[in-house]
Amino acid sequence: MVITRRQFLQRTSLATAGTLLGPGLFANPLIRRAFADTIGDRYFVIVYLDGGNDGVNTVVPVDNGGGSLRTDYDFARSSLNLSPGDLATTLIGTDPNTGAQLGLHPGFRGFAGKPGFGGFKSLWDDGHLAVIQGCGYPEYSLSHDVSKVAWQTGDPLATGAGGGSGWVGRFLADPSQGYLPGDIPGVSIAERIVPELRQAATSVLAVQRLEDFGFPYDRRWDAGLDDDRPAKRAAFLDMHTAAAGATHPTLHYIGTSGGVTLQSSENFPQVGAAYDADPARKIFGDQYDDGHGGGIRRGLARDLREVAKIIYGVDQGIYSGVNARFFQVTNRGYDTHSGQGAGESDGQHFTLHATVGASLKLFFDDVADMLGSPDKLCVLVWSEFGRRVKQNGNGTDHGSQAPMFVVGAGPTFQGGVYGNHPNIAQSAWDDEGNTEYRQDGAGGFRSTDFRDVYGTVFKHWLNMPSGLIAPGVLPIDGGSASFYWTAPDFDVPFFA
Amino acid sequence: MPDSTPLTETDARHLLRRTGFGAPADHVTAAIGRTRGAVVTELLAFRPQGFKPGGKTPTLLAAKWLKFMLKAKSPLQEKLVLFWHDHFATGISKVIIPSLMGLQNQLFRRHCRGDFRTLMKAVNVDPAMVEFLDTARNEKTIPNENYARELMELFTLGVNDENGAPNYLQEDIVQIARAFTGWRRSNKAATFNTTTHDFNAQFEGPPENRGPKDVFKSTGGFGASGIRYAGSGSPFAEGSTEIDAIVDILLAHTDTDGKVTVARRLARRLIEYFAHPEPALAYVDDVVATSGVATSWDLTALLHQIFVHDDFYLSSLPAGAGTKKSVKWPADFVITSLRMLKGKLVGRESSVRGGEFRGLADHMSNMGQILFDPPSVFGWDWETGWLSSATLLARYTFASDLAASSGNNGVKLLKLLDLDDPAANAGAVVDAVTDVFGVTADLTTAERAAMIDYLTDGSPATPVDLTVYEVREKKVSGLLCLVMQSPAYQVH
Repeated sequence: MVITRRQFLQRTSLATAGTLLGPGLFANPLIRRAFADTIGDRYFVIVYLDGGNDGVNTVVPVDNGGGSLRTDYDFARSSLNLSPGDLATTLIGTDPNTGAQLGLHPGFRGFAGKPGFGGFKSLWDDGHLAVIQGCGYPEYSLSHDVSKVAWQTGDPLATGAGGGSGWVGRFLADPSQGYLPGDIPGVSIAERIVPELRQAATSVLAVQRLEDFGFPYDRRWDAGLDDDRPAKRAAFLDMHTAAAGATHPTLHYIGTSGGVTLQSSENFPQVGAAYDADPARKIFGDQYDDGHGGGIRRGLARDLREVAKIIYGVDQGIYSGVNARFFQVTNRGYDTHSGQGAGESDGQHFTLHATVGASLKLFFDDVADMLGSPDKLCVLVWSEFGRRVKQNGNGTDHGSQAPMFVVGAGPTFQGGVYGNHPNIAQSAWDDEGNTEYRQDGAGGFRSTDFRDVYGTVFKHWLNMPSGLIAPGVLPIDGGSASFYWTAPDFDVPFFA
Repeated sequence: MPDSTPLTETDARHLLRRTGFGAPADHVTAAIGRTRGAVVTELLAFRPQGFKPGGKTPTLLAAKWLKFMLKAKSPLQEKLVLFWHDHFATGISKVIIPSLMGLQNQLFRRHCRGDFRTLMKAVNVDPAMVEFLDTARNEKTIPNENYARELMELFTLGVNDENGAPNYLQEDIVQIARAFTGWRRSNKAATFNTTTHDFNAQFEGPPENRGPKDVFKSTGGFGASGIRYAGSGSPFAEGSTEIDAIVDILLAHTDTDGKVTVARRLARRLIEYFAHPEPALAYVDDVVATSGVATSWDLTALLHQIFVHDDFYLSSLPAGAGTKKSVKWPADFVITSLRMLKGKLVGRESSVRGGEFRGLADHMSNMGQILFDPPSVFGWDWETGWLSSATLLARYTFASDLAASSGNNGVKLLKLLDLDDPAANAGAVVDAVTDVFGVTADLTTAERAAMIDYLTDGSPATPVDLTVYEVREKKVSGLLCLVMQSPAYQVH
């Protein structure tokens, strides 16, 4: 059965109940212990495009190559189409199947005259961008909710493996990763813990702004002989340590989360302050948003700056408990049923793509400068579905497959175009007017199962043996596996 | 009969807490020994208050509603309006016009415990909803599926039934989207525009002939030819008759158990909201059967059966092995605390009097609940979805704000304490503070011990002298803060 998001969250909280974060959790926060060496000294960032990104106008055929992609594109997108001229500055590789020249939506270069300009096109030119076309899953859902859960759990057919926990969360909880209670391997830059990081046995933080993450004490009693903070802190920890050991799943959850919150609130704000105080970082920090009207000034850029700050703290290695390697940020607004716009720079889709292109380019440069090289960074960009091939007014309805992006570097990373552009010819649309998810390769239009992309990251970036990935972390559907997912080899060659 | 079961103290407190914001001691006392049925009947017979939150910004709008919530004579009405606000989640970030959100709040207020069929039909043409889910941009040449999809997925049927079988197919969404073509809105109401409506008789609707207006050929128990919702001429008039007919059909939809799909789903959601997550299917089916909601759509009858059912009281005991608890919504956390402490709000942004001047809407936004702007059409994530390091920190901050207000003409905690002896033992002082919140029975032994340790700086046997300024101001307000920060206080 397909689970709803609410059931998913509930199941996850129940799964949390099975874990034990005993009193040891808060015992000695000052000892910094090296994390499992599977991710080692590397970092993994997930960027979610919330609302269903229009894949058709994300990676666009410039010509027909040996097929009819461009003709089909112009037919389906009578006014939202991007002309070859629009695409001239953002050309990337060719479609492996049809040989058609491909271009990125011009928005991906970023905002002219603002930091990060060049965006995805610069990353592409430097070999740091992998474009994986036609990503989806069998029996796709057009519901935001259902489809989001499919991607976030990594379990599109809802086999229920992993109790509905998130695909990264489940990975973090796998014994092979060696995390211990009290470790904070992941941070969502959000008010909520995003479902893909939700997990059973480790703790994940949700932080919006590090500077606001200090623990609130009553200012009347925070100094000298009247200092009430140690007593209050002790009582708070006693209560939460006891709750962490409770059998009631919700109390247990609150006990662990509250304890970790207090502990982190004492370390993470310092990390933010240290980043801000480092002149070498400030040069980059101001480019996200300098607070005086300069910089990219978009929510995603500001959120990525928080990630950069934490990475800075981890790299400095002097802040106890700050050793997170997994991050998640979100860019909202992709549900473009109306007013989507094509290549015009004041259109919704342009702004969305420009925000992603510029912010990630700046973030990539910031981290590369900070660590001396970008080789330790991998970023994965996804959305819950693409949009209908044929436009509807000045917008698009929910669709099936769309491209994913991986931004990476280092000796094993290979930028390029992977996977095939979906067959967007009208004759190939399914009953709903969407491109079909298919693995049988008819006409060469083989789709990419998004789990293959996840699995490739696990196997090659996080060094997880493929035998542990499936079915342990990424459940494979039962009898119909061969039809739906012919090659769970986790070797999409953006990592060699 | 559950209806005639007398309420114990624990059950009375639970019932009042879940149907309101906190359970004041005198209300609990008055309810003990009376039957569940009698008390529930009284609770549901509240006199509805008409109120339309106004304001130029989303923050002011939320501040107005919160101020009203704090004073509301029928807290159950506010709880129901909150429920419908989540169920029919509409966000001002897309609607833009604050007065439309105010109108919608008024609509929920009017129908909150009335007839679901009427409520659903009213929501179809609610101007904020017409704007939010793109009905305002739905026309015959470019039918927009947004509303049709959510109408089924979220407002009525749900994606799947209790057996995991789909309740509708994409083709049903396409068909129902046609019914809503041509609807537009003014700032007061929805209007029907015949020139952009996809009339069945015209058969001109590009891009292809969509055929007669039939739905549910594969699900819903309507048979292989489905059911027709409109056509040319009476009784198949189009326009408002047609979208009303859609609601009637949705309410007649049956699932793979042959039960009325929407009745079951509505019962389940209300139980999850008022009682606890993951209720037993028997609880759901019992209340649907005994209330007759599947034919009457009378929400009062349904709520009555939910509140008197034995399973409702599964969550009245403190959190422990085998008990079911629910995480307090931020609105509940904030308003309950203020009500129990007799806190006051000041200023346009409804700040805690004597506190740090942060508006209540700001506090709540950090807790993950921006009124009038839910994160998406799916509403908020309930239960542990409310809780993260960021949102917990916001709850701790509100607790601290409220506690600090005691030194600044805010909360008058000492006056609230029911303590005759100024030099009491530490346990008695802690109990007096937790009594103010009505949560003494809910705190764990460890929590109480931690509070006693805090109060006495680790010497629990020492009497506590409340005549000493520092004990009074520092420790008692500190206790208040700790109660609100305690794990047990986050659930109910």
